[in-house]
Amino acid sequence: MSGEIILEGKGLWKRYGSLDVLKGVDISVRKGETKVIIGPSGSGKSTLLRILGLLEPPTKGEIYFRGENVYAGNLNLNRIRAKIGFVFQEPSLFRHLTALGNVKLGLKHVLKMKDEEAEKKAMEMLRLVHLEEWADHYPAQLSGGQQQRVGIARALAMDPDIILFDEPTASLDIELTWEVIEVMEELARKGITMLVVTHEIPFAKEVADEICFMEEGLIKECAPPEIMLRNPKTPRARSFLKRLLGAYGGI
Amino acid sequence: MLGFGYLSYWTRFIVEGFIVTLEMTALGLSGGFIIGSLLALGDVYGGKLTRILINTYVEFFRGSPLIIQLLLFYYGIPALTNYRWSAFTAGALALMLNSGAYQKGYLKGAIEAVPKDQLLAAKSLGLSFRQTLAYIVLPQAYRIVIPAWTNEFVSLGKSTAALLIIGVRELTSVGQTISSLTFRPFDTYLAIAVIYFVWIYLSLKLTEYVYDRLKIPGLGESI
Repeated sequence: MSGEIILEGKGLWKRYGSLDVLKGVDISVRKGETKVIIGPSGSGKSTLLRILGLLEPPTKGEIYFRGENVYAGNLNLNRIRAKIGFVFQEPSLFRHLTALGNVKLGLKHVLKMKDEEAEKKAMEMLRLVHLEEWADHYPAQLSGGQQQRVGIARALAMDPDIILFDEPTASLDIELTWEVIEVMEELARKGITMLVVTHEIPFAKEVADEICFMEEGLIKECAPPEIMLRNPKTPRARSFLKRLLGAYGGI
Repeated sequence: MLGFGYLSYWTRFIVEGFIVTLEMTALGLSGGFIIGSLLALGDVYGGKLTRILINTYVEFFRGSPLIIQLLLFYYGIPALTNYRWSAFTAGALALMLNSGAYQKGYLKGAIEAVPKDQLLAAKSLGLSFRQTLAYIVLPQAYRIVIPAWTNEFVSLGKSTAALLIIGVRELTSVGQTISSLTFRPFDTYLAIAVIYFVWIYLSLKLTEYVYDRLKIPGLGESI
């Protein structure tokens, strides 16, 4: 994969109390790329994503957004956050706002769009995730899958340079998982830059440019899906995938 | 004999007293709402020292009788500072500060009831902390707090009767005057009680209506 590096972490460490959750992770995502991170729970995937999304600072290490070291100097972090979309494991919608209101909020108050313009753009985004008919519904009136798609529309509306997905289907049942995965595949095909923590192997196989295996706070191995899914180098990745693929009846 | 005909002579006084009661309740509630909001935000998001100061304030106003607070404001503070203020001003201030201490508790609970994941979502969109409070936290907290807040209205509305101790001409003190001039304490105080009751009852119905109008599906129900 060539092209500009959009987001890069160098030597990322994160310590909570006496626990090192990340132990020097290097990772980069290029424009148009879809990168998938897999790994056992507790390996630091979510922490890595939150740090790359500038939702919390690393204990050590640097993050570069389009070549700029975000924690050096006096950069406006909120400006950069607006350019890094984030889709959470739990839908995290604003519960006092409709689906449309959720998508509009950032457009109005961060990008300072006029109400009319924001409304038009928000509707467009809801259409992309096939929810235009649900625009007036509140989160509590939507299914988990619909809520998650509103979350995707909300991130997408900001025209981010990259979207980070933190196990967006982990709390959904199979049917709802598919409607979310489908939308994500559409985005990947449109060339949206994505970094996705997921264990949906069919998704990774279909659209990932690269799959990274993470364990004990480190990225142990990255490879294109055809290599990673068939013949990973590290024994730990091999045993993890064997169990994971077993759940899919092999691929 | 029980009868209320004689009261028609005093109607003007009663109405004037009732208006003062309304004014005092409105001032106490709205001032307390602003004070309570600031204290709640400080207690939830502030540093350790801020929290200690806020909770000392709250403990003082919740832990001492309102009448003592009124006396302190009307007689105590002028004696100390040589600065005189009217009973109305002293009373209004004491009510605001007192109600602020109670409203802080309700508002803090409501602010904490807004799920934390929404704060993270707001951050990821690039909203500043202030924007997050203004557009995410407070609009939800202010809806969630309404039922608890009506308790404060009921309690404060009746507490304004304590203002008679510093000579504010509110409803109860008007009742006291009428009673002593007419020698009819039972009928007079009963009539005054009915006025409080009807006023508070109707206001509660109104708040219920407003709450239903502002209600959003799924908000505050599971909390």
